[in-house]
Amino acid sequence: MATQSLIPAGDFRTTYAADTTIFPTAGSRYAVWAALAVLCLAPLVLDRYWLSLLIQIGYFGVAALGLNILVGFTGQISIGHAAFFGFGAFASAWLSNRFHIPVFFAVPLAGVLTTAVGLVFGLPAARLKGLYLAIATLAAQYILQDFFARAEWFTGGVAGTHAEAFSIFGFAFDTDGRYFYVVLAYLVVTFVLATNLMRSRDGRALVAVRDHYLSAEMMGINLTRYRTLSFGLSAFFAGIGGALYGHYLQFVSVEGFSILLSIQFLGMIIIGGLGSIMGTLMGTAFMVLVPEAMGWITDAVRGSALDRALSLKDNLSFLREMAIGLVIVLFLIFEPDGLAHRWRQIKAYWKLYPFSH
Amino acid sequence: MNTHLLLQLVLNGLIVGALYGVVAMSFVLIYKASQVVNFAQGEFLLIGAWVCWWLLTTYQLPFLVGMLVTFAFMMAFGLALQVVVLRPLIGEPIISVIMVTIGLSIFFQALCKWLFGVFAQPFPPIFSTSQVSLFGFEIQTVYLMSLGISAAMMAAFGWFFRYSKHGLAMRATAFNQQVAQSLGIPVRNVFAMAWAISAVVSSVAGIVVGIVNGVSSALSLYGIKVFPAVILGGLDSVVGAVIGGLVIGVLENVAQYVDGQYLHWGNLYEIVPFYVLVVILMIKPYGLFGTRDIERV
Amino acid sequence: MTRHATLASISALALALSLPAGAAEIPIGHLADQSGATSDVGVPYAQGVADALAWVNSKGGIGGEKMNVESVDYGYQVPRAVAQYKKWTGGRDKVAAIQGWGTADTEALSGFVTKDEVPYISGSYAAQVSDPTGASGKAKAAPYNFFYGPSYSDALRAMLIWAADDWKAKGKTGKPKYVHMGGNHPYPNSPKEAGEAMAKELGFEVLPAIVFALAPGDYSAQCLTAKNAGVNYAYMGNTGGSNISLLKSCKAVGTDIQFMGNVWGMDENAAKAAGAAADGVVFPVRTAAVTGGSAPGLATAAEISKVSDPSGNAYRPVHYLSGICAALYMTEAIGWAKGNGGIAGPNVRKGFYQKKDWVPAGMEGVCVPSTWTEKDHRGMMSVNIYRARVTGPTDGPIADLMKAGTVKLEPVKTVELPRKPDWFGW
Repeated sequence: MATQSLIPAGDFRTTYAADTTIFPTAGSRYAVWAALAVLCLAPLVLDRYWLSLLIQIGYFGVAALGLNILVGFTGQISIGHAAFFGFGAFASAWLSNRFHIPVFFAVPLAGVLTTAVGLVFGLPAARLKGLYLAIATLAAQYILQDFFARAEWFTGGVAGTHAEAFSIFGFAFDTDGRYFYVVLAYLVVTFVLATNLMRSRDGRALVAVRDHYLSAEMMGINLTRYRTLSFGLSAFFAGIGGALYGHYLQFVSVEGFSILLSIQFLGMIIIGGLGSIMGTLMGTAFMVLVPEAMGWITDAVRGSALDRALSLKDNLSFLREMAIGLVIVLFLIFEPDGLAHRWRQIKAYWKLYPFSH
Repeated sequence: MNTHLLLQLVLNGLIVGALYGVVAMSFVLIYKASQVVNFAQGEFLLIGAWVCWWLLTTYQLPFLVGMLVTFAFMMAFGLALQVVVLRPLIGEPIISVIMVTIGLSIFFQALCKWLFGVFAQPFPPIFSTSQVSLFGFEIQTVYLMSLGISAAMMAAFGWFFRYSKHGLAMRATAFNQQVAQSLGIPVRNVFAMAWAISAVVSSVAGIVVGIVNGVSSALSLYGIKVFPAVILGGLDSVVGAVIGGLVIGVLENVAQYVDGQYLHWGNLYEIVPFYVLVVILMIKPYGLFGTRDIERV
Repeated sequence: MTRHATLASISALALALSLPAGAAEIPIGHLADQSGATSDVGVPYAQGVADALAWVNSKGGIGGEKMNVESVDYGYQVPRAVAQYKKWTGGRDKVAAIQGWGTADTEALSGFVTKDEVPYISGSYAAQVSDPTGASGKAKAAPYNFFYGPSYSDALRAMLIWAADDWKAKGKTGKPKYVHMGGNHPYPNSPKEAGEAMAKELGFEVLPAIVFALAPGDYSAQCLTAKNAGVNYAYMGNTGGSNISLLKSCKAVGTDIQFMGNVWGMDENAAKAAGAAADGVVFPVRTAAVTGGSAPGLATAAEISKVSDPSGNAYRPVHYLSGICAALYMTEAIGWAKGNGGIAGPNVRKGFYQKKDWVPAGMEGVCVPSTWTEKDHRGMMSVNIYRARVTGPTDGPIADLMKAGTVKLEPVKTVELPRKPDWFGW
């Protein structure tokens, strides 16, 4: 497998523990620690714009990770992820506004509440497969959105609701520079959790369900249990991501969780690579940056003949949407295995350079 | 109980439902032939209606000529989409194909807004009398036309699948691609043809809705409304799709009746089809008329 | 490893691209809806605001200092508005004022602008943000929210007064039936209670509200419901695109309803798009004159219009003119602040309180004289009610249709509402 391409020749795995290690080489472990250290310095050097993009990548990444567990690892399709993301945001705001639970605790609690909702929607979903499941989750998206618009006690109705700023012991994380660390901490914790989950017995069962559910069932894996579990897990991460989003913006409104966001989540994991944990983060970064890149391009050509002919500035939002659609289509045609796969190939290429063929 | 209003709403539901039926039919056509769930079906309506509107207003073409040119365009468009975008995806997992059609839907929706703007645009008047009175109900002429066209198209579909060579080839392909291919049926052409026909049929629905309500991004909503209809009918049944469309159309209007007369919750007619969808899937996971897959290892 | 590389390259890119902030200009934020649910009216209004600000800049700016206006399309989505607001106010060059747009986002941001002391001139005239102190008891205090125009509730009250007279003038007897129609959204909901209470007071029979989505669509089911209930007067709370669909559907099912539009609910473009279905709809207009009139301010408006249309041929609908007024009130208030303690939020706010029956220079006869006080942000209490007239086929450019009189906006009545305390804040 290409993943092990950086392991020196003659280095065999002799134990299961060695085979399932997260860091195949010492170098990769140091690299991760170094990357974290660099990230911790980011608020000192980056301006607000870039910080806000990194924070976005963070909370979307957490939620996209949940979707990847559901779609990439368990092979279930969901077109309603944004609704769970939204539920997490509303739940966290509701917990902190209504019961005065400190935001620090409200975020994980929102994750738990969202898990419960995910399990409820996961139960009937365990009976459905493929297309029918996709359409059922589409219905869940619309039904939950409608619920958000009606449930004034919970969401503030169509007017939306205020969400407290994140704080611990009176220290408020209310600027981007501070909030960045909150999101970073959650990102690291959730990614470590997910990586470890996939090395466990349950994680392997999920993958077996994806690869061939009938064979998995014959081997004694309880299909209903694991399908429902993966819905719950996916909702948990979506809820955490949503709660982080809500407390970042300090305002939660039903409009933020439309089907377009669900599609963007799917785009993130497909572009990153289905069934790849690191790919999720790459895909999320890509999906967040593509619409921004459209903005930079239109800024760069402003005033030129091209701009005048197509009136790019006025149509920026359509250009962004078109870019999202186009990127999804092109990736699926030309790079169906996602960025994670391409990254492995690049590594393999450089390892063998200049004798790559 | 307000019977007159209820009847009128049911009638309205049947008219709208017939249009849902047409769109659902063209959706099922693609699914049957090429096993692709087309999330961009609504955009076929949208593109068809905009192209026709553009021909009629910019070039002042007569309505029939404009419509025929639109059909030719949609046929080419459907073919091109299948050949360029969907052909490379044959054999890819279901999620990839779904995502590609979703991507196409986002792309074309935004493209239409860019090209034609965000304003709803009226069609030039086509009928001299805009409405007629029938059994005491006021009905727009264009709705009558739409009912007529829908019925004609359903009949044409029936004939096509039962008697024409291409229709039979399509059914054979839907039944089993490998067997069809070994019998000498050009399966790739059948796929392309299914997309072309589906695009044309959807554009008819788009034009009809455009004439009634004006052309706007609302047309792509029909692509979403189609899901409850086809799930009700079963994904692979053409007759089921028509029935499903009619049921959803009536259901929406009855929901509006219940809402307007008794509950006053508002917006019920938009969301009820989705609840129905979930309930159906919980009871019958393959829809009411769909074939159950039997899997063997 | 993967994470390392990805994030490291992102940070490197970030360092390369982070540009230093602009020099000594007055930063102004401008939120516009150019692609969302209300873009049909958002586009001309935003163009008016942008043109007017660019025009002020071309005349040397405010007291010699130019404005740096950042216009952002937020697609009528509250989260995007809030995110944009945080970008504008979190950095070193905090904006001096914001030209906003929708009801939902204005209300969502109201708390933030109060805390950050940023004057916020909105395109939303919800009465819920017209109470600067919270003394009305009906709304939260919104000391930094301003809008140019009658509040949605006051406009509806005025139209209901007209409707009651109209009913009598037509010689009809019995109780006229009134219904509120609109999407389930803060904007159409804003004047709902006020309208229903006023209608009851005026002797209307108030029917349960009818919901239709804030997007184009087929609304024959709603129209049939209204027709069957025998509605005489209906308030359309949505904007152009959605109202057009409603009017067309209602004409198709043959209703006989006098529709009353919102300020944003009807205009020249909507009348053209709805064609005969728009004939007879009444709606409030915020300016004292419309394009094609003879007010002296229209010459200035024509000059401002040339900023984005040098040929001078573009037809400018009512929303464009209101956009100009909203922008010029703001620049004059900033101008006052500049000479009285510097451009900071609290001073700009005070700038709005300086004049009574205030009309921005050059806009005489167009902008309606407005008065804001520290206790009351209802800028105007007089409501100009117009009627849309469509007398033929409406294909062709709107400028020609207006010239030929196929589409006309006729003044019907100007209602002067009393500044009642119990009509305050809702």
